[in-house]
Amino acid sequence: MSNSPSDLNALVERYLSGQGELNASFSELTGRLRRAIADDQVESAASALRRVVAPTMDYTSALSLYKLRRRLADKLHYPAKIRLAILSSFTTAQLEPLLDLFLFASGLETELYVADYGLFRQEILEPSSGLYAFNPSFILIASSWRDLLRRPKLSDTDDTVRVLVEAECSNWAGLWKIAHERLGSQILQNCFDSPPWRQLGNHEMRHPAGFGRFIARVNARLFDAAPPFVTLHDVDHLSASAGRWAWSDERFYHQAKLPCGPAYLVDYAHSVASILSAQAGMGKKCLVLDLDNTLWGGVIGDDGLGGIRLGQGDPESEAFSAFQKYLKALRMRGVILAVCSKNEENTAREVFEKHTEMDLRIEDISCFVANWDDKATNIRRIAERLDIGLNSMVFVDDNPAERAIVRQLLPEVSVPELPADPSGYIWAVEKHRYFQVVSLSGEDLRRTDLYRANEARLGSQSSAQSIDEFLTSLEMVARVAPIDATNLERSVQLINRSNQFNLTTKRYSSGDVLARLSDPTWITRTVSLADRFGDNGLICVLLARLEGEALAIDTWLMSCRVLKRGVELFVLEQLLAMARARGLKRIVGDYIPTPKNALVRDHYRSLGFEQVSAAEDGHTKWELAVDGVDVPPRTHIRLMPERLSAADSNLEGLRK
Amino acid sequence: MSELAEALRDVFREVFDDESIVLADNMTATDIDGWDSLMNINLIIALEGRFGIKFATAEISGLKAKGQNIGTLLKLIASKR
Repeated sequence: MSNSPSDLNALVERYLSGQGELNASFSELTGRLRRAIADDQVESAASALRRVVAPTMDYTSALSLYKLRRRLADKLHYPAKIRLAILSSFTTAQLEPLLDLFLFASGLETELYVADYGLFRQEILEPSSGLYAFNPSFILIASSWRDLLRRPKLSDTDDTVRVLVEAECSNWAGLWKIAHERLGSQILQNCFDSPPWRQLGNHEMRHPAGFGRFIARVNARLFDAAPPFVTLHDVDHLSASAGRWAWSDERFYHQAKLPCGPAYLVDYAHSVASILSAQAGMGKKCLVLDLDNTLWGGVIGDDGLGGIRLGQGDPESEAFSAFQKYLKALRMRGVILAVCSKNEENTAREVFEKHTEMDLRIEDISCFVANWDDKATNIRRIAERLDIGLNSMVFVDDNPAERAIVRQLLPEVSVPELPADPSGYIWAVEKHRYFQVVSLSGEDLRRTDLYRANEARLGSQSSAQSIDEFLTSLEMVARVAPIDATNLERSVQLINRSNQFNLTTKRYSSGDVLARLSDPTWITRTVSLADRFGDNGLICVLLARLEGEALAIDTWLMSCRVLKRGVELFVLEQLLAMARARGLKRIVGDYIPTPKNALVRDHYRSLGFEQVSAAEDGHTKWELAVDGVDVPPRTHIRLMPERLSAADSNLEGLRK
Repeated sequence: MSELAEALRDVFREVFDDESIVLADNMTATDIDGWDSLMNINLIIALEGRFGIKFATAEISGLKAKGQNIGTLLKLIASKR
């Protein structure tokens, strides 16, 4: 049998397009992966393993893959990007390996710490605990309904229960606060699931003291009260999706104090990992859609506008419409939609422009590619045009052959299996949690417009006569402001997502950023940029520290959609102004190379900085004398005046 | 070896990640390396999935109890299929 990586890739493809897990192709695959790891083909084994890990795996298969992951870890060690502590009152021995597996699959290398069973309050309250020694960047408080400290009595009035809800929630909020203040950790707390049985039956949610109602009120209160450094993990939704009786397989609670049936721990772990990786900026950004038999029934080139099946009146046509409504909802909250279809472009576009039952309109599609080239080539094109990575793309196609070719040629792209029945399309995409929302900012809501405006700008670039004229014609206006309550979420998003224009690629949680905001030696700035095509939103984050007579740039990142617009010079002007206002002599900065930020290797040089040192790993240090610098040439960006101090009053709101 | 015994051996090899496991009727939990309470849960889930059966709460903890061995496990599985 061949042992080449391409053979392994083909095996992965066969497995992914097959049905079930504990089948022959699974054993063949795990055997092949075991050999690849033994033969030191670690990179290709790691990549294959990452691709086969899925939330729909059964528990035993997932554990088999976890064993491979451990074998791999002995040979392939990446530095941990995050440190995650799991605190729980139930047994996490089963959850931990699954969580480790999914975090590995998402590419978020994680060092795990698991507190002793049942000691989560002590771990947080006692500064000499293992939790503090571990010093986590993230803490998962894996609670379940059995951890609620208070239960209403049936005789309790609505007012009494309200007091109980407040007391319950302030106890949890107190734990968050202590852990965050002492450790600066980001916290992931389970909201509470409900037991499947109900003392009051159908009256449970109506009676003021119904336990189910109490849990719902506690959850609502926690969702409202959670500060930016706390993410609530919606375990109740996992439980409801699985079915409450199925989820709470009581045998395993009585047997081993498991929070739910082991079968559901796989999905549970996937859900947690998807949130963590989304917070680290590793979530997906773009859905690439096939057209025929994916967005509508039939083939537009053969059946024509009147012949394709879509819309009301026919069950299968309605299923296609439901899928379109689902996609439209994703687009409305910031997922980029692209089309990749084998069709004549005009024929394909006509459906979007003329078919009255189309929920997706042409303006919902940020990049429309219809031609006869192979889909792998076209998906590459889409990635280039939208300026996003292949690993942030998901490809949805009803045709197994197209899925196979994309899986083989573009292993970075996620390709979910689609069932034959369009009624199952939504679940086929949704179950992978590709597009986990960390927080929703105004930017997300406008993203498609931003990317579309970018395409319009590219058009005007080709017609403008010189780059100067082009930049002038853009009529750019910048707003500069410190990080404050209004832009914290977007800033943290950029800090964790930007890879290319990012000098140091330091990742900070909102907790980290908040800590710097209250430290007078730190200065933060954000730049937002508008032009005549629209508002680009917040496109630059700067974090700098006062170090003696120097202003030291800790983080300088910019969104790639404003590259080559003179924003760098504009930001340099801001830095010089900041340094001069404080009587500083120098501005210093670092370039820390990563596989993705070669773009800015010579960033400081091009701005007139002197190189001070260069390490073997490519890490360079740069310095600019504030007085010696020539005033940089006028940039094409106008500064919109804003009161910088206005933001300070928002800080109190953040530190609740 | 019966088909059932063979399938049981394969489940053990998978769960304990040891291709060299050979089962005999008189073997008990102490004869298998690493058969602790955690692995017991993993084994139960794998057996339930593989044979399409469901163990009762007492049977789960009973698997490692005195007097139980591979022979009694085989009978238990056979009685549930």
